[in-house]
Amino acid sequence: MTTTSTVPQRPASPQSTPPALAPERPVQWPHREVRTLANGMQVVLAESHTFPKIAAQLYFRAGNALVAHRSPGLASMAAAVVRTGTTSRSSHRIEEDLRRMGADLGTSAGADSSTISVAGLSEFSAGLLDLVGDLARNASFPEEEFERERRQRLEEVKIERTTPGFLANERLRRVLFGKHPYAIVAPTEAQVAAYERAHLVEYYKQHYSPADALLIVVGDFATSEMFAQIERTFGDWRAPQPEAPKSAEPPHHTGRHVHLVHLPGSVQTQVLLGNLAITRRAPDWHATVLANAIYGGAFHSRLVINIREQKGYTYSPRSGVNPLRQYGYFTVSAAVRNDVAAATLTEVFYEMDRIRALPVTPEELDSARSYLTGVFSLGVATLDGLSGQLSTVYLDKLPEGYLENYRDRVRALTADDVIAAARRHFDSADAQIVIVGDREQIAEQAALFGDVSTYNAQGDLIG
Amino acid sequence: MKSFKIPVEHTTLPNGLRVVVSQDRTAPVVTVGVYYQIGFRLEPHGRSGFAHLFEHMMFQGSENAGKMEHIRLINSSGGLLNGTTNYDLTNYFESVPSNALERVLWLEADRMRALKVDDENLRNQRDVVKEEVRVNVMNQPYGGFPWLDLPPVAFRNWQNAHNFYGDFADLDAASLDDVQRFFHTYYAPNNAVLLMVGDLEPAGAFEMARRYFANIPANPKTPRADVTEKPQTEERRGHVEEKFGPLPAIAIGYTLPERGTHERNVAGIVDRVLHGGRAGRVYRRLVLEKQIAVEADGHAEIVDTNGPTQMVTRIFHKPEFTTDETMTAFDEVIAELHDREISEEELDAVKVKFRSDYYSMLEGGMGSYMPRFGLMHYLACFTMFDGDPDRINTVLDGFLNVTPAEAQAYARKYLVAKNRAIVFRTPVAKGGAQ
Repeated sequence: MTTTSTVPQRPASPQSTPPALAPERPVQWPHREVRTLANGMQVVLAESHTFPKIAAQLYFRAGNALVAHRSPGLASMAAAVVRTGTTSRSSHRIEEDLRRMGADLGTSAGADSSTISVAGLSEFSAGLLDLVGDLARNASFPEEEFERERRQRLEEVKIERTTPGFLANERLRRVLFGKHPYAIVAPTEAQVAAYERAHLVEYYKQHYSPADALLIVVGDFATSEMFAQIERTFGDWRAPQPEAPKSAEPPHHTGRHVHLVHLPGSVQTQVLLGNLAITRRAPDWHATVLANAIYGGAFHSRLVINIREQKGYTYSPRSGVNPLRQYGYFTVSAAVRNDVAAATLTEVFYEMDRIRALPVTPEELDSARSYLTGVFSLGVATLDGLSGQLSTVYLDKLPEGYLENYRDRVRALTADDVIAAARRHFDSADAQIVIVGDREQIAEQAALFGDVSTYNAQGDLIG
Repeated sequence: MKSFKIPVEHTTLPNGLRVVVSQDRTAPVVTVGVYYQIGFRLEPHGRSGFAHLFEHMMFQGSENAGKMEHIRLINSSGGLLNGTTNYDLTNYFESVPSNALERVLWLEADRMRALKVDDENLRNQRDVVKEEVRVNVMNQPYGGFPWLDLPPVAFRNWQNAHNFYGDFADLDAASLDDVQRFFHTYYAPNNAVLLMVGDLEPAGAFEMARRYFANIPANPKTPRADVTEKPQTEERRGHVEEKFGPLPAIAIGYTLPERGTHERNVAGIVDRVLHGGRAGRVYRRLVLEKQIAVEADGHAEIVDTNGPTQMVTRIFHKPEFTTDETMTAFDEVIAELHDREISEEELDAVKVKFRSDYYSMLEGGMGSYMPRFGLMHYLACFTMFDGDPDRINTVLDGFLNVTPAEAQAYARKYLVAKNRAIVFRTPVAKGGAQ
């Protein structure tokens, strides 16, 4: 290094080594109460009075996976239209009511659930719960609102198909899940055009049911009053439990295969690869999350150090274990310079093979365990974080004490647990590799890693 | 209205470092930030993107914490960290379990004191930044729209108008000598604010701050770029090609009143009359009623900028409507603000939402795993730009006092063609790149 040191030197630090950590302070889990109403709705309340706000989330355990084979995205479309009218409120009135209560409303659906969530000032708690109840029970699906939302969705679908991250995820899910409904993450334009109001209403009537619903409310309220309000809002609601159909098994992949999505004119290559893994219910979930934190799930992880901090291939490398309700999957992603697509894959697999072959060092193990336990407690400090953690536990029906025991479970993990989890769930040999970019730039590099199937952005096989 | 007060204590060290703490015992975690009053708007003339590239260099190693050591020490303490470059400031922040507070302060002091980086670090981060620009701008539909598109159209002073992410040629020209000079010029305690928010004892936190930061010398010659703009006399328009996305998009920016004026408060309220989701007038008219647009919303940075700033509306409209038709519908919304006072009822609702949004901002502000990021950020802005961290508890009053007459007067004076800039982002081919 050659610094022409024309700049003034500053006095040395009073201390040349980092201070030790102070004694850890215990995490106080907010007091929560759980009740199940007579109609089956499970209610979880946790008070937190730091800010004068509440956040309520009502979950129905039914989402796009249920309709993927007949009408992809129908659950999302239904959720979008739910907020546009009830038997007693127009769309306009709903939005005005929200603003009057300082509230934001979200209605959405994922693969496994549909959600109505609202956050607003605690002085309007009753009105906020009342609105959630109205949307859950009395949505009227106005025809003109449906048509407008459908057109908006159509335009969104077009934009999605120009977005590298979306295209990569869509292709990987198709490959990993095959005939299982998790394979389909979004509708095509034609499928959006085929939505009918009657299908949305039917979906809503069948699946927005209290029988298997979960309501989580966190924030500035008194638990007894909140229970009384919830009983008033939802207590007399009766509906049968919807059936959950069986789904096909996802395929078993042997050997690597490359799935290239051709996006002409790309000045970068989006790499996304992965394999089927596990859900939070698996006994080695914690070990797998820990292995992921060491591999590529934290800023200070092997993959980030390698391909970002040493080689400068990418800004945004990341690995993750993604748990859906029935299956989970492991992914590695990075948006990289076109000329280093192959070099990136080489390093991704090198690091994957290394963590599968050699024990992690005691320092890495200790560091990653502390990382997971610390970040976990950060999540308790905000209403969003708290309600997110509660929904993790109750939505997937994880064991009582999952949150309280999480940190101890992580602290007890060993290097053997890490290597075992990596060998089971970071499937280097059979990884399915998606790359999105301009094929003129990357096809030759892709072919080094397996047979290549090439698709266009619409999902058609073109080579 | 429930009364609500944030506890704030602050002091200034002899070297000029302002230290602000706010205790919050919700969870045993603390969020720490160091804010430097140098942003991409203030970077040296002709060195586009340098402030942001430099932000990356601050993670590359300091005197006693070599490359990756800073990151390792935060992650292994159970914490998360990041940094961002903004118009008028650059910030570095960590959320950690509160037992790591002293370690975080040691790390932040170490890199305020002495940056220890080499040519390889610089080459590496130059590559990383180029991929950042590609992933966020060059390879995304509507990348950089409108935050990179609008300033060159709206402003004439290079400071306000240049490419903030940086031209690649300028990034390539940056040398290690530039890095060290920039560091010694702007990264001095008297040009910074240290913030600690969360599970802490204020007296102990101040003591730790003194221990690690007190002997870092001030730089009495910290320059500040001149960001003033000549008065605008007519509407400004610009065009940008959209390479990937299929929809035409329009961004309209109206320059805000100056910081510290009551008119700026009025602007903050009128912004929320126009924008802020489906109840906002722009969305209601263009998306819900006329159905010209599929998305229309906007925002004004009231608190976190300290120079010429615009309230910006973004509209994505259906291809079957022309830009003229879209602009006509938008202009009708603006004209109504000129012609009629906002009703008390609408204004009251906007204010309730404003207050609620303010609390949410303080509580989180950057995802659920950076507790009180927003509180820290606003405390930093009030300290740095107004010299008054206690504004955190009074700033709302200015907004909640706005009257319908003030809103109308503001609209007539500021929401006019000669105070605005428009960028049309037009797809290169119908149906996008396919």
